[in-house]
Amino acid sequence: MRFLWGLSLVFFFNSGFAQETIKIGVITDRVGVSKPYSEPATEGAVFAAEELNRHGGLLGRKVELLIEDDQSRPDISAALARKLVDQGVVFIISVSLSPATQQQQTVTMEAKTPQMTPMNSADYLTTQLDNPYFWQTGPLGSVQIATLLAHAKTKNFKRVALITDNSDLGQAIAKAFQGTLEKAGIQIVASEVVARGATTAMPQMQKIRAANPEAMFLAGVLTAENVLIFKAYRELGVKFPIHSSYNLSVPIYETVAKGLIDGITFVDAYDPEKPEVKAFEAAYRKGTGKQPVNLTGYGYDGVMLVADAIRRAGSTDKEKIRAAMQQTSYAGVMGAKGMRYGFPAGKRTGYDPNGMVVRVYEGDRQGRVVYVGQK
Amino acid sequence: MQDLLELAVGATASGCVYGLVALAYLLVLRPTGIINFAVGEWAMVGAFGGHLLLSRYEWPYAAGMAAVVAFLCALGWLTERIAVRPLVERGAPVLAAVLALLGVLVITREAISVSFPPDPLPVPYAFGIQYQKYFIIGVTLAVFAAAWVFFERTVAGRSFEAVALNRRAAALMGIDLRRVSALSFAGGAGVAGLAGLLVSPNVSAHYLMGVPLAIQGFTALVVGGVGRVEGALLGGLLLAFAEQLTIRYAPIPGGYAQGVPLLFLIMFLVFKPTGLLRSRI
Amino acid sequence: MNLVRFAGSFLVLAGAAFLLSDYHNDVYRKMLLWVTLALGYNFLFGVCGQVAFSHFAFYGIGAYSVVILLFQLHVPLPLAMVLGVAICAAVALAVAIPATRLEGFYLALATLALAQLFVVVLNEGGELTGGTGGLANYRLPPVFGWSLGGPSYTAVIVALLLGTYALLVRLDRSWFGRACRAVRDNPEAAAAMGVDVARIRVAAFTVTSALAGVAGMVYAFVDNTVNPPIFGLENAFLLLFMVIVGGAGRHAGAIVGAVLLFLLPFVLSPLVGHHHVLVFGVLVVAAILFQPKGLIGLFNGRS
Repeated sequence: MRFLWGLSLVFFFNSGFAQETIKIGVITDRVGVSKPYSEPATEGAVFAAEELNRHGGLLGRKVELLIEDDQSRPDISAALARKLVDQGVVFIISVSLSPATQQQQTVTMEAKTPQMTPMNSADYLTTQLDNPYFWQTGPLGSVQIATLLAHAKTKNFKRVALITDNSDLGQAIAKAFQGTLEKAGIQIVASEVVARGATTAMPQMQKIRAANPEAMFLAGVLTAENVLIFKAYRELGVKFPIHSSYNLSVPIYETVAKGLIDGITFVDAYDPEKPEVKAFEAAYRKGTGKQPVNLTGYGYDGVMLVADAIRRAGSTDKEKIRAAMQQTSYAGVMGAKGMRYGFPAGKRTGYDPNGMVVRVYEGDRQGRVVYVGQK
Repeated sequence: MQDLLELAVGATASGCVYGLVALAYLLVLRPTGIINFAVGEWAMVGAFGGHLLLSRYEWPYAAGMAAVVAFLCALGWLTERIAVRPLVERGAPVLAAVLALLGVLVITREAISVSFPPDPLPVPYAFGIQYQKYFIIGVTLAVFAAAWVFFERTVAGRSFEAVALNRRAAALMGIDLRRVSALSFAGGAGVAGLAGLLVSPNVSAHYLMGVPLAIQGFTALVVGGVGRVEGALLGGLLLAFAEQLTIRYAPIPGGYAQGVPLLFLIMFLVFKPTGLLRSRI
Repeated sequence: MNLVRFAGSFLVLAGAAFLLSDYHNDVYRKMLLWVTLALGYNFLFGVCGQVAFSHFAFYGIGAYSVVILLFQLHVPLPLAMVLGVAICAAVALAVAIPATRLEGFYLALATLALAQLFVVVLNEGGELTGGTGGLANYRLPPVFGWSLGGPSYTAVIVALLLGTYALLVRLDRSWFGRACRAVRDNPEAAAAMGVDVARIRVAAFTVTSALAGVAGMVYAFVDNTVNPPIFGLENAFLLLFMVIVGGAGRHAGAIVGAVLLFLLPFVLSPLVGHHHVLVFGVLVVAAILFQPKGLIGLFNGRS
């Protein structure tokens, strides 16, 4: 008799704790070309999930992250998206390459599963496919250049050079830069590409120098190749200012490009003076013992945005989550002070166009914010 | 005009790096007939070794360089011992060894990738950024001179040539095939590591740098011709000049400029596949 | 391969697709495509002795061609399929004629350059190829009123695989196969016996590359996306791995190699986390050291 009582008590308590977890899928790259960006973002996502669970989870249930490695191979990426859907995830967070995110969309559209990327900035992700289950909260290439230009308006540039690399994201950002620059009536006097694996950027910089621009806009996202560009810049002794995409906000430049980046202007989604950022950094240091970087913040915001949508939906029904996600208004770690993520008027890009900040490298450190937004 | 001079020096330095990688291929290819695509990853190990010893532990440059080259030689010897010798001794086709080395390529790259943070890492210059090009050219010339002397003037070098010509005859003449193999791998690895160490202050040490270097070195090898040591350097220089002059002076948009060296190579192969320098024999 | 065996294999392989979950079906059909590619590559490399890295580029040419024909140029489906095959064969022929004059690693280098050039062309192709983002937002139009997707599309892939296999086995057993082997082993002797070495090489290259292109045309509708990273250079090396690890020169070897090496990352990833590529490399080297002539040798009782 006592045995039966004991057994039923065990079942009773277990049923309280062994409720199903809320599964969120994360597709990242652990070994391929996207690893330098995907790794910190994934760490941020993991930290966010742990934080959620420390505070009681979501809708009374624990959050479980199912993390898959797509090796930056888009066809494996799509297969993994199917795997996650089969395993019952209610949301997929994509922190790998942009083409991989794109290929996952065919799956999420078909399977009617919400998907978001907190980090990818390629403009084509929301324009190529009309997928009502996909949102992009990374800062778009077009937003980056618009912010950079707003800051540079006082300088009255008429002739500029554009340089990038041959990665897919570098090309996408360059395309966005080019479109916006041309629309603003600014002439692009030289447009160069540094290929992955190049040993020098000297010929490209020489060509740019010969065209005599007033400034150079950098759209490349490959760290090693960008360093080559800076080296050639110094070696040739040119002086025109460099304005860069958000790639320069990655802190590794402070070590690997020491002495080369003083004075470079770049656009960033991270304002270290923002109260949410300070809180995030403190909590992250306390929780993991490591210092977070801005990439970590993207992953963190991704999970928090999804959690916010699930909370407002009040259930794990994918359609309800979809509707709730579309109604998002959330202040995260990334973005300028006071920025809120949101998808007004049915749009699927959530990063406020006025939410980027412009910063300048002072010496080897990322300096203060000198401009906010596009106004 | 000043542009052209500057570019010429830069292209020469790049060409020297390609030439060293081509030499690394050559040193293994001639006696054994094996194409070792892992040279790119060996170069990468050289670069990371440079980062560790010179940047993190701040050894003096000469000591660090010597240590890196020595380590790479040991690594090359080890690779031969583990991945190649068992195959050769069982009479496996050459292609099996090539593939085993491709496997070694993957293993090396992943081993580095999991041991270091994913971002590119800095490697210091020998004498400062402005002089690096001359340093590269100087070291390369020294290495090639040494290689030339080795092959042309020393008995050990002649034995390499003998093995390249006819393995069985060489063995019958008393040349230790295994020693030649082991030495060639050790030498090839050392040269490749040196190439990586020389190029990495500019390109940084990162885990994806191996494959592009391997391809560029292979191209240089084929262009120059596999018969002679000087061919490797010539091939490297031609390739670098073709790449950089095209980017600088060809009136085509930046994106297409990467395709031109490839087209050039294909044309070259179609019309003169044996390489520019014919073999001595 | 007689009709009964063909039909039987088709039913078994295609039927399996209907029993699998969405995810497993996706992995299964991608694996079948790789097997198809490996079979063709095995013929080119193992039977004819040509070391080429362009095989995967033809896969891409086929995929992009059919998408561009159908959705940019609005050609009707049957014509698009025929044209697609014609384009692949034409490009293969154009490449084959100069390429097959090259020996050994010269051919390897030329095809390596070609593969890289292909990616450059894709990236710079502007509106036609979709540039670095590739092409998406398309769907296979209904065939005879059927909308093929999921497991029914896998059946199409199975048909492709079996068709390729049947064709290659036929070729292998015919005089063509013998001529290829003769050319591979000793070109001078083959020429002395009256074999037109150049013609045989060109034919082998063209046929296998065209087959890869056809496989590519089928691939285009698996994820309904084509972009440059899918057709990158690393895949060419993986294909070479598959054929050699499995056993070059034997169809069964290509199948074994492709299945093993394609599924290995999926199996390893949950087990060893982000070290899975390292383990993969170690396993491949071990396999070659253990069985240099290919793992298929295990099944023959030879060692």
